[in-house]
Amino acid sequence: MAQTLSRPQNLREWFAVALVWGAAALVTAVFCWLLGDIVWHGLSHISWTFLTAPPENAGRRGGIGPILVSTCLILGVCLTVSLPIGIGTAVLLAEFTSDHSLFGRITRRSLDVLAGVPSIVFGLFGNAFFCKTLGLGFSILSGGLTLACMVLPILIRSTEEGFRAVPTSYRLSTAALGLSRTTTIVHILLPAAVPGLLVGLVLGVGRAIAETAALIFTSGYVDRMPESLLDSGRALSIHIFDLSMNVSGGDANAYASALVLVILLLAINGTASWLATYGLQRKAVTV
Amino acid sequence: MQSSTCIHFCVSLKWRTSAFLVSFLIVATLEAPGTATAQTTTTDHLSGKLVITGASTLAPLIAEIGKRFESLHPKVRVDVQTGGSSRGAADTRQGLADIGMVSRMMKDEEKDLHAFQVARDGVGIIVHKENPVQALTDDQVVAIYTGKITNWKEVGGKDAPFTVVNKAEGRSTLEVFLHYFKLKNSDVKAQVVIGDNEQGVKTVAGNRHAIGYVSIGTAEYDESQGVPIKLLSVGGVAASTETVRNGTFPISRPLHIVTRTPPVGLIKAFIEYAQSKAVHDIIKQQYFVPLVD
Repeated sequence: MAQTLSRPQNLREWFAVALVWGAAALVTAVFCWLLGDIVWHGLSHISWTFLTAPPENAGRRGGIGPILVSTCLILGVCLTVSLPIGIGTAVLLAEFTSDHSLFGRITRRSLDVLAGVPSIVFGLFGNAFFCKTLGLGFSILSGGLTLACMVLPILIRSTEEGFRAVPTSYRLSTAALGLSRTTTIVHILLPAAVPGLLVGLVLGVGRAIAETAALIFTSGYVDRMPESLLDSGRALSIHIFDLSMNVSGGDANAYASALVLVILLLAINGTASWLATYGLQRKAVTV
Repeated sequence: MQSSTCIHFCVSLKWRTSAFLVSFLIVATLEAPGTATAQTTTTDHLSGKLVITGASTLAPLIAEIGKRFESLHPKVRVDVQTGGSSRGAADTRQGLADIGMVSRMMKDEEKDLHAFQVARDGVGIIVHKENPVQALTDDQVVAIYTGKITNWKEVGGKDAPFTVVNKAEGRSTLEVFLHYFKLKNSDVKAQVVIGDNEQGVKTVAGNRHAIGYVSIGTAEYDESQGVPIKLLSVGGVAASTETVRNGTFPISRPLHIVTRTPPVGLIKAFIEYAQSKAVHDIIKQQYFVPLVD
């Protein structure tokens, strides 16, 4: 009796396990295939000269020096603007509004909607608002600010989760000790919420650095070395798009640029997870 | 006790870093030069910034011309942006751009703009050099590319199946080709899909039964270098840079730059430079056809 029952159950179990492993293997295989393809085609073109020289002949020859600088500047503007605003809003949502208040619900809902808006919409908004209304023109500043708008919803929501994950006992203890709310947030809650912040940061930076549609109408297409934040500067993702889709004979350099982009992304994610471990360790010390 | 010092130290370190970042940003912003508008001084020296937007087909060409123009006039900056021909016309009309790029014939409603042709783009049909077929009618080309006929003997060639070579999505040659033959890319039944012109030439040169289409500039250059391909005539007009240049070859389009008002000063200087012989090597490098020889 027991045997007849367990057999189909075993089969089902086996099937479920195979499904889960299969799904995981598929995802890993796709990533490995993609990475392998980029490394295989791109690695031989990468050199110090490629990383520092300006592009020549529409990017078919030469390097990506100015484009790397522009990309980092755009990302820098984006983070400088989005981090303080993001942390501030997250603190407000997590610490100063209750789950059920109307204001909190509306803000959270609008952030969730914003997080799902296609990037081209942000691009057109950035072009209309930063480039035209504010008169910043095609510039690294416009691009960075547009990206900040795009990254903010993700950053705020996951930082908020980070704050919510901090046990209430922390807040009660600091209140019992007579610490002010600001001190509590800055010195106790913020360090404890760092993992959530970093998750948002990694997701946000990932979205920002891979962005093409939002940047082509804001930071622009110019591949000269930027002299200020008001200069137009081509981001790495736009360079890859242009080389593979618009410039015949640009495929080799497109692969090499894609490899640089992947390495840059892995480096940023690596730094973030290193920081997360470090942050968690410090939290342990605090407790 | 020790742990609280650590928190203090770490927090203040973090703040110091972000304060540094912010101050860096402010300094970088303040260092930006003032208003950047196109202007010329009374002397021979040109200076200022030119903003050019429009067709993505033209953007690499104009950007390269801009770079050479910048090296001749160190105080000039030429900023090229993309977004499509219609956007080039609209931005120029609104004054958002000094010059627009339009990679087609000017439409009737765009007659208010001043258009200057800088080059032409022509697409020629190529077969292997030893293929006996000398010319194909438009209907035959459509039938071959849609898979209605499959053998060369149906158009007067040897008894062998076609190897139809098509371009990958997003190539301007594909757009010009499809537009001329009134095809959709989904209608095309291709055996080989290729990326750039050179790849198309190599594919046809290596297959006696292949038919493909590439930029005429590339094909003519390779033919002169002894690559075994030949260009077929279309509608009775021989495919050559010469017939593209004079506009008689049908599968071609003009590449324009446009301005809102009659150009003066820096804009005029740039347009004259873009139309001069000094940039012909750049035009050929981007597989387009210069207007005069």
